Amino acid sequence: MTQLALGTPGLRNRPALRRRRAKSALLVGLLIAAVVVAVGVLAWVLIYVAIQGAGALNLGFLTNTPPGNPSAPGGGFYNGIVGSLIIVGIAAAIAIPLGIGAAIYLVEYGRGRLSSTIRFFNDVLIGIPTIVTGAFIYAIWVTRFGFSGFAGSLALAIVMLPLVTRTTEEMLRLVPNELREGSLALGATRSQTVMRVCIPTALPGIITGAMLAIARAMGETAPLLLTTLGNDLFIEYNPAKRMSTLSLQIFDNAVTGFQEAQARAWAGALTLIAIVLIFTFAARFFGRRVRTSNA
Amino acid sequence: MTVEIEPLLNRERPFWRRRASAQGALTLLVGGSMLAACGSGTTGATSAPSATPTPVCTGTTANPGYSNGLATVAGQATTLSGAGSTFVAPMMSVWTKAYATSNGVQVAYQAVGSGAGIAQLQAETVDFGDSDAFMKDSDIAKAKGGPVVQIPLVQAPVVVVYNLPGIASGLKFDGETLGKMFSGAITTWNDPAIKALNPTITLPSTPIAIAHRSDGSGTTAIFTDFLTQTSPAWVTALGGSTTSVGKTVAWPVGIGGKGNDGVSAIVSQTAGGLGYVELDYAIAQHQTYGDVKNKAGSFIEPCEQTAAAATAGITSYPPDLRVDIVNQSSNPQAYPITGLTWALVYQNQTKAATAAALVNFFSWVLTKGQDLTGSVNYTPLGATLQALCIAQLKKITVNGTPVSP
Repeated sequence: MTQLALGTPGLRNRPALRRRRAKSALLVGLLIAAVVVAVGVLAWVLIYVAIQGAGALNLGFLTNTPPGNPSAPGGGFYNGIVGSLIIVGIAAAIAIPLGIGAAIYLVEYGRGRLSSTIRFFNDVLIGIPTIVTGAFIYAIWVTRFGFSGFAGSLALAIVMLPLVTRTTEEMLRLVPNELREGSLALGATRSQTVMRVCIPTALPGIITGAMLAIARAMGETAPLLLTTLGNDLFIEYNPAKRMSTLSLQIFDNAVTGFQEAQARAWAGALTLIAIVLIFTFAARFFGRRVRTSNA
Repeated sequence: MTVEIEPLLNRERPFWRRRASAQGALTLLVGGSMLAACGSGTTGATSAPSATPTPVCTGTTANPGYSNGLATVAGQATTLSGAGSTFVAPMMSVWTKAYATSNGVQVAYQAVGSGAGIAQLQAETVDFGDSDAFMKDSDIAKAKGGPVVQIPLVQAPVVVVYNLPGIASGLKFDGETLGKMFSGAITTWNDPAIKALNPTITLPSTPIAIAHRSDGSGTTAIFTDFLTQTSPAWVTALGGSTTSVGKTVAWPVGIGGKGNDGVSAIVSQTAGGLGYVELDYAIAQHQTYGDVKNKAGSFIEPCEQTAAAATAGITSYPPDLRVDIVNQSSNPQAYPITGLTWALVYQNQTKAATAAALVNFFSWVLTKGQDLTGSVNYTPLGATLQALCIAQLKKITVNGTPVSP
């Protein structure tokens, strides 16, 4: 309309316009297809695990330990659920304060070569295969003190630490410099600025990052194989002893080849997905709560 | 004489026993001592089970009911940490669960394979290891904690599993044929050598897909021990009798799976698959498996009873109980590929509580635990060996003092 009103020869441009529209439609179509594939695969995984796992998943599965005979039906992964929560809990207690501290240093205090070196190594640490982390803890800890839940926590803490550092760092960088300047101008000290202004502002993002790191650690199997080794049949609350985790029990039961054990493995996979989803939703929920209470 | 005896034997025994007794009679006829042997056989068929054993692979066997366990040592730890053999894993799982219920001590056992079990014991990261191939002196030399007491816990058959749609369990194999199959000299199922052993079965032309272990395995040690003893073709293909047996060998053909689980999975998924696993893995996964020719020349189905026959005649064992029972028995009912699994414990323990828990647990395994073997298709130790194992436990010390006086 505007083109015509301005007297532009619209008719001459028609084919070009059509081509542009066609191109646009094609690209939008491709993007939609990409979304469908991405969401579709995720839905497929979730639905498939739900169908496979629902058969063996019941209240007893969440409150019992596996039967002695691996080819017997029934039993559950209570010991693995408890073990996962304890081991990941300890790992989180180590990694989250350390990671947040490191990020605060890098963003608020770090200058020059040292902080860029730390940042570089943090990125390297993110990329290290977790089985290597497990082997490292095996070499420095397990060979001296034996397999234990705590050794697994150490390995998972190393997996979580760079993730927490990285997300916290990103979130602190998003805090506008004007806020810091305003705080300092009002006479607040550096540390008061960090504690009262920067961290509260970035808190929703920091919590989300920590929750994602926890969810990631929940699903890790490789670093635990070499550190906690597993304790498939028994409930163990003492992290100084060998413990089981959901991920280890899924692995051990899946590879046995006994159908009944594989059914337990599927139910365990569904349980693990549910726990990870709960953590993700919790992250969202708390993130929003913190944001609104700050506002 | 045979004409009279055979119908008698046939009437009293199920069909699977008839063939064996007919063969026995034939052998005796050739040997010339038929009259005496058959005479005792006819009269003793109902009254003397030791002379003519009860039918194999049927019904339940009596629990040994051993009661010679050591007195419980006080002050034991409430948890133990062990790792090793997958061959014994289902049995160990049953034992540890039952022991936790009855005695309140939790024994965590992880099936990482015999080779890894030995390695973890050597590194002192576990309280005990378990292997189906005993530790050699060279293995013990690498152990950080010094001398190792090796205690047989249970025996079980290693069975030859195959995946041939339409063909049931009971294909007949002998050592030489198996050796050729596992070394790649025989490549299809309808090979004349296999046909000759199974004249009544129509074998397909499917290629043989060998599955073997990829990890250090006591099951492999037992199986290759049998092949090395019975198959010159296998020994030649593997470059001599020192390299043709062990926890790992240089397999000429096939694909590797981790653990007994891994091998049975490969066989289940591959038409024409052929592998070797402990009996319980084959039974629990409804796999088909073959009969194997023993020293006496009979083709024997693997089961609790035939595995028991594999050590029935052995009366003397070396003092350290490092004994090879594979294909040793000339008992006509012995399943030849029967192996032992050994618990591996440091002779001189440093923690009194752990030492007490170890002695108590293994004493229980060797007595009450032997009554639980049937539930997972394992075979209890014979009385001779069991008594020696209990004696072996007494060698364990804490800082030089025996744990169980």
